[in-house]
Order: sequence, then structure tokens, then C-alpha cells
Amino acid sequence: MTSRLAIDALRDAVARLPDNRLSATRLAALDHLQGQGTPTTAHEDWKYTDLSDVIDISNQWLAHSAQERTPDVAADQINALKDRIDAYWLVIANGQVDESSVAVAQAAGISVSLLSDADVALDFDAPLANLNTALLRDGLRIHVEADAQPAKPIGILIVDDASSAVGVSQARVEIDLAERSTASLIEHHVSTGRSRHYANSIVRLVLGDHATARYVRIQERDSGHSQTGRLNVRMGRDSSFEHSAFDFGGKLIRNDLLIDLCGPGALATFTGLYIAVEGQHIDNHTRVDHRVGPAKSIQEYRGILAGATRCVWNGKAIVHAGADGTDAEQANHNLLLSEQSEIDAKPELEIYADDVKCSHGTTIGQLDESALYYLRTRGLDRRHAQQLLTQAFAQSIVDRVSIDLLQDTLREMVAVRLSKLIEGDIGL
Amino acid sequence: MLQITDLKARIGDAEILHGLNLQVNAGEVHAIMGPNGSGKSTLAQVVAGHDAYEVTAGSVTYNGTDLLALEPEERAREGIFLGFQYPVEIPGVNNAYLLKAALNARRKHQGLDEIDAFEFLKLAREKMALLGMDPKFLNRGVNEGFSGGEKKRNEIFQMAMLEPTLAVLDETDSGLDIDALRAVAMGVNALRSPERAIILVTHYQRLLDYVEPDYVHVLSGGRIVRSGDKSLALELEEKGYDWLREAATA
Repeated sequence: MTSRLAIDALRDAVARLPDNRLSATRLAALDHLQGQGTPTTAHEDWKYTDLSDVIDISNQWLAHSAQERTPDVAADQINALKDRIDAYWLVIANGQVDESSVAVAQAAGISVSLLSDADVALDFDAPLANLNTALLRDGLRIHVEADAQPAKPIGILIVDDASSAVGVSQARVEIDLAERSTASLIEHHVSTGRSRHYANSIVRLVLGDHATARYVRIQERDSGHSQTGRLNVRMGRDSSFEHSAFDFGGKLIRNDLLIDLCGPGALATFTGLYIAVEGQHIDNHTRVDHRVGPAKSIQEYRGILAGATRCVWNGKAIVHAGADGTDAEQANHNLLLSEQSEIDAKPELEIYADDVKCSHGTTIGQLDESALYYLRTRGLDRRHAQQLLTQAFAQSIVDRVSIDLLQDTLREMVAVRLSKLIEGDIGL
Repeated sequence: MLQITDLKARIGDAEILHGLNLQVNAGEVHAIMGPNGSGKSTLAQVVAGHDAYEVTAGSVTYNGTDLLALEPEERAREGIFLGFQYPVEIPGVNNAYLLKAALNARRKHQGLDEIDAFEFLKLAREKMALLGMDPKFLNRGVNEGFSGGEKKRNEIFQMAMLEPTLAVLDETDSGLDIDALRAVAMGVNALRSPERAIILVTHYQRLLDYVEPDYVHVLSGGRIVRSGDKSLALELEEKGYDWLREAATA
């Protein structure tokens, strides 16, 4: 049975948040959440992912008066990351927007503001989005002007430090790319500390007509920390969304990627790589709604699972009535390196239009023994051969990262992660 | 160099080699011929160390060491090279990367430094030119999308780069057009030296028009039933294998 969120304690915590333009919205979200309840495994969308542990962390945190932590965390780590990837970095640390980064990220064609200063209406749809809104101190709004092409990617660093006490943090970002603009966006999650932590992030991205977003999400949380994240994308006419996601860390990770193709000519390409080791649970749910045609969506997720792990991939494509000229491709490939690993892979297609082209394919397998042997006869030891083959499996996702300057960094991150995995160095 | 004594090997429940004896000395080229199913490929795989083949009796020594006690990669580092009958396609693993890793694994074993990137490229281009290969192959996935002939040339290219002490080529000549066959032969002849030995496993005599063997052995029913010089290959070409098979079972 899934634990229940301590709603009264939550209400107290919401009441203690600083009063700003979000105050009324928080209370409305809390009411919605109370009516909805948090998802349980009885919900089809949450069948394989049990949030009990996350609710438990939240209740523990609420019992400690929802202790706020200072936002000045892991400065060295933040600086190292900033040095590694050249971007306009915005930082949300321990659920608090680093206001100094907001000033720094202003550049030609980009304007960034606090959500409490912006006129943005928040939805009250999903329970975890309502939890996010209810507990939101503040968030970010990023606007890219029409025709703008910012010189550097816009980076959103979501960092948490759970070294002193159990923690819960919310991150909220509302992004819109106006007509004909092109921008690269990086959503990067990191965390440190031995205490339990739950992070919940909601990002909404609106693409104007003819806009292009190159989007990379990198998640490298501590192996003891959990996260739920949702990215909602709304796409206008002839807009393009090129997304790559990398899940390297975390204990329980659930990502929801929801794409609405609202304008004809829209093209969504979304890929993901999850590497799960001992004790990890990584769940990727994607949903693409083809509301008009012609439009195209191409998705491919790949997973590498080692040790006692469980991963979920659920890819849903809905072709609405009248969305003729839809082209939807789905693929999910998994490499299971241990007998204790489990993948629940489920492609779903719902088609209500006539002129559509849809395909899906899922594979689950082990490393090719004949390839391993071939490499060994060339003098490579078994581990090296295994590493090469797993890396080759992952490489096709790295190759499709559309933010060029990130390709080498990601290749290196994947290689480091895989070499540790093969050597059995990653455990709990 | 290689001493195989009374070797018996099986795959699953089927015994394929029933007591095979073979001695190969440095500087020699041996051709192993025989009909389909006679155990030629099994012999090649047992020498390379494929774990699907179980050795039930006999011994294989290589330069005085017990070869059967070594892992495939250890054999490779000791200078044994197997040219595959069916080279494996490995998409995503770059040809150049594999070759460099293979060379360095051997060099490390020999106590040498890793090969310099410039030196490696120079050497690779040189060998590819010799074998009539497009240098673009270096940056492609290992055998990925290669034609049958390209795969075999790639095996010979790897052999040329690794300069093995003992090369075992498992039907490298099968399915090749005349140009590819010549390239393979050129690669093999270039490797010939007093310190090295080569075993050519082949079904047909035609490779032996280009590579002259010192010895020809006929394998049938898991044993060597006849050994001779290159004239034996010509005799086989003329008479086929049936007369030997009858001799073996008699």
C-alpha cells in the first residue's frame, strides 16, 4: 500500500512560505492535490513505480517543520560544472532560485525573471505538479525573443545538498521561445549528501511557430536521492523540438515527457539513455499528442541495466481525430547485463485519424557473445570488450545530441559511468 | 612452435575432433584442407580459445606453454591471430579504436609503450594501401555494413597490423572474387618470415595458387588422414575428398 501524504502538515508548510504573487496559486494547488491524492500503483501510469518512499521522505521532512536549507550549496561542484559546459547558467539550489544567476543570464534575445514577478498562469493538472506549485517558493521564467538565436545554451542547474538533514525541493521553470527563435537548453540535476532527499521538478516549454529548441536533460543525482520530473512541451506550426535525456544517477527516478504537437509541420525528436545500477529504479514515461497533421514524432530510448535494478519505459503516442499526415516512430532498446535486472517496456499507440504512419519496436537483450569473443581474440580482455560493446550501444543516443558542444562531455560521462558499471564499482 | 597432440574436442554432445596431431614450426605455412564438417573450423577455434568447444583429451602447446590454459585474449597477446570465417559486425565500435586497443594490448604484454597516434595512422594507411582498402574504413564500425569481401580484407588488414607469430586463417578465401583473393594472398605472403607460422584452413585449392604452402594436410572425420606437400592439394582438386573419406573410415 502506498503511503499517504501528511496533508495537514503540508498545509502548515505552505502557510509558512514567503508571501508573494504565488501565494494564492499555492493554496489553490494544495486544494487540487488534496482532492486528487498522490499517484499510487493502482493508477495505470504508475503501475511499476511506487512513490511510497518519496511520500515517506516528504512526510519526514514535513515532520521536521519542512526545514528550509540555505541555497549556497556545493559551490565547488557548481563552479566545476559551469567551467565544463559553457552556457548562461541559472541555478536553483535546494529549491531556491539563485537570484544572482538570474542577472548573469540576461543576454541578447533572452530575458529571465522570477516566476513571482511574471504574469504566468500555472495549470492544476497532475498531482505532482500541484505538489510542486503548492510548495513553490519561486520559479524561473525564461523568454527567448522572436527571431533570437542566443549565442550560448541556457543552462538550468538544479542542485540539492542533503548533507545536513532530510530534504524536499521543488523546481519550476516556464520557458517560451517566440516565433522563429532558436535556443539550446540544458536541464541539469545534481545532488550530494547522505540524508534522504526528494526533488520534484516541473518544466513547461512553449515553442512558437517556426521556433527550434535543442534540449538536453542530464540527471546525475546521488544514488540515495529520488526525483520526479515532468517536461511539458507545446509545439507551434513548423516548430522543432530536439530532445536528449540522460539518466545516470538517482535512487527512484521518474520522468514524464509530454509533447503536444499543436501546429502542422511540427517535428519532435526525442531520445533518452538510462544507465541503471544496483538498487536504482528509473522510469521514463513519454506521451506525444498529435493534434494536427502533418507532423512527425520520432522517439528512441535506450537502457543499460546492471545489478538488481528495475527500469520502465512507457511510450504513448496519440493521434487525434483529424491529425492526418501524422508520422510517429517509437523505439526502445534495452541491454540487460544481469539476471536481477528488470525492464518493463510498453509502447502504446492510439490512433483516431485515417492517414497516419506509425511504427514501434522494443528489444531486450544481452551483450552479443560472438562480438565479445571476436574482440577478445584481438587481445582485449573481457571487461574491456564488455565496456566497448555497452558504449557502442549507448553511443547512438549520444550521437544524436543536437547541442554540439555537449557531445564530447556526454560521451565522457557515459564512458565513466559504464567503466564503473563494468568494474562493479557502483553499488549502494 | 605449435604442437597439437592427440586432440579431442567437442561442441555440445558432438565430438568433432577425434585425436588430432599436428606440428607447426616457425617459418612454415601449413594448409589444412578437408570436406565440410571435417573439423577444420573446430581446430581453428580451439587454437583461438572459443569456449563453446570443449577439449576432452590431448594437448596443445605453443612455444612450450600450455595453450589450452590461456584465455582467448592471452593467446592473442602471445601472438596468435585468428582470421574469422564469418567476421562479426560490431556497429558503434570504431575499426581504428579496436586496432589500436589490440596493438596496445599486445605491446603492453611485451613491455612496450603504447603506439603513438601518428605512428599508428601512418602504419594503418600503409597497410591499407597494400591491401587496396579505402582509408575511410578505419573510421567505420568494425565490419559494419561491409561486403563479404571487405570483411575478409579487414581480417587480413588486422593481421597485417598485429603481425602475429602464428596466424590461423579460417576459410578466409571462401566467397572472394579474384581481386580480393589476390589481396588476401598478398597479405599472407607479406607476413611470411622465418619467425612466423601460418595455418591456412581452406576448402579449395585456389588460394594455394597464390600462397605456396610448405605442407598440406587433409582433415577428415576429425583426424588428419593425409599429409604431404603442395602437390597433395592439386591431387585433391582433381579427385575430390571422397576417396580419402573412404580411406579414413576403412
